[in-house]
Amino acid sequence: MATELPVETHATLNGANGTGSIAKDATSFANKDALARGVIMDVTTEEQARIAEEAGASAVMALERIPADIRIEGGVSRMSDPGMIKRIKAAVTIPVMAKARIGHFVECQILDAIGIDFIDESEVLTPADNVHHVTKHGFKAPFVCGCRNLGEALRRISEGAAMIRTKGEAGTGDVVEAVKHMRTLNSEIKKAQNMSDEELYVMAKEIGAPYDLLKKTAQLGRLPVVNFAAGGVATPADAALMMQLGCDGVFVGSGIFRSGDPAKRAKAIVQAVTHFNNPQVLAEVSEGLGEAMVGISVAKLPESEKLQGRGW
Amino acid sequence: MVNADISLTIGVLALQGAFSEHLQLLKKAALALPSNITFRFLEIRTADALATCDALIIPGGESTTMSLVAERSNLLEPLREFVKVYRKPVWGTCAGMILLAEEANRTKKGGQELIGGLDVRVRRNHFGSQTESFSTPLSLPFLEDSAPFYGFFIRAPIVEQVLPPTTLESSLENNTTETITAPSKNPINAVAASFTSPDEVKILGRLPPSKLTTTQEDSNLGVNPAEGRIVAVEQGNCFGTSFHPELGSDIRIHKWWLEKVLEKVEMKRRLETES
Repeated sequence: MATELPVETHATLNGANGTGSIAKDATSFANKDALARGVIMDVTTEEQARIAEEAGASAVMALERIPADIRIEGGVSRMSDPGMIKRIKAAVTIPVMAKARIGHFVECQILDAIGIDFIDESEVLTPADNVHHVTKHGFKAPFVCGCRNLGEALRRISEGAAMIRTKGEAGTGDVVEAVKHMRTLNSEIKKAQNMSDEELYVMAKEIGAPYDLLKKTAQLGRLPVVNFAAGGVATPADAALMMQLGCDGVFVGSGIFRSGDPAKRAKAIVQAVTHFNNPQVLAEVSEGLGEAMVGISVAKLPESEKLQGRGW
Repeated sequence: MVNADISLTIGVLALQGAFSEHLQLLKKAALALPSNITFRFLEIRTADALATCDALIIPGGESTTMSLVAERSNLLEPLREFVKVYRKPVWGTCAGMILLAEEANRTKKGGQELIGGLDVRVRRNHFGSQTESFSTPLSLPFLEDSAPFYGFFIRAPIVEQVLPPTTLESSLENNTTETITAPSKNPINAVAASFTSPDEVKILGRLPPSKLTTTQEDSNLGVNPAEGRIVAVEQGNCFGTSFHPELGSDIRIHKWWLEKVLEKVEMKRRLETES
């Protein structure tokens, strides 16, 4: 079970980020409400978005190609056609997210302009900047960003991310990297909790994270924003595994619409996230789901083909 | 008023959404209440757990997700019985208020399941998308002091209209493509029935008119913009707020509600021993 995110966090966190206005506060922790303990699904068409909504997804991620296809087809992967995103927004009543390339602040401006509910500055797309991430404070839409460890998570939060997810290894159907990233986060947070202020200053320097956010994380015993699992979740058991490791919710990318029976699998994963601590329910929903996505073992993937290395 | 020791079990529906925030505020609010009351706060995911509760909070989240998960977890009917047959105290915030409404607009294609209990029609996502979320000071006269309460509105619903009391017949008539309705149920006994108040939806809070977004639908309904939209209502055992008190650190509404629950549970236990 995830450590609770205390209710006082909002005010202090926003204070620390220097985004004073009350109106801004509401959006920056908006994700806590609607998405918490939910499943966010990758969709490429209005039909898939409707299947996701019917299954009980708490949001959808609109994109032209799911990570598994990006992996196969290669080439430069960019923000989706705003027209396609708008059509998906019109088809469902749940929030719609879309991805922008790392550092591509103009793609973010465009997504903000069409009234997207969340922007994912994502390593799944080809990065547009090899050094900088987008400064996320100025946008109306809240941001979600990936991380592999605590330093990366806190750098993104410092830049304005309102939500963090593990990077995992998108489009593989192999959960091993998401587990590794969550385990790494947990163990680094535990380490920080036992540190004196002097030691925290050194740790902040070593992991390249702002001291204030590190201190806050150590006090809370968790990240100061919601933290979802992403990258390789393919089964209800995978989703419950990530929840039991302490995630606040789950992204499922290629895992659903690359499987034999997407509607059934999507429903099962939603149930698994709610009842993540109940093996009886997990057994029931795992039954007869048909073929899972074939997947690629991350261990067989050459370093150059891994997406998680993108981001700085 | 409170004489003997009393213990209360309060559940928070934990299918999806902001349930942990409610639990934290409930625990804080409980500390501000007399110490002869013992509170047990539970996360509710099953019908068995629900059956042990004296009162329930349905948190904010995605109302479509919550109702779908409730249905598949075999919780929808037990929830309807909790609210409408046993008439136990229930508070819905944001998505939770949508589920407690007898009618809802702007639902997903094919509609969604409602629990009902409040004779109101709510309009989902009244203010638009995530980016139109805001927080604003509200004047809530039912709280003991007059300091404004900061309400967080996130893809929030609004009470569009107070409806005439629901009956078994009327609940079936209104299912149209735009609006969906909750099924009606009868209270289990006279004690439970005494917690209904069919003709009385109390308006407990309105949004300041400056925060008003007027739409074509408003003018069709003949809404008077100067009055401000309804954001808090109470009827019998049900209480609904379109904003999120659980996302701030102000415990006043939680404390007020726990006091109400206590009052109702004491009355119920007294009536049951008498009868």
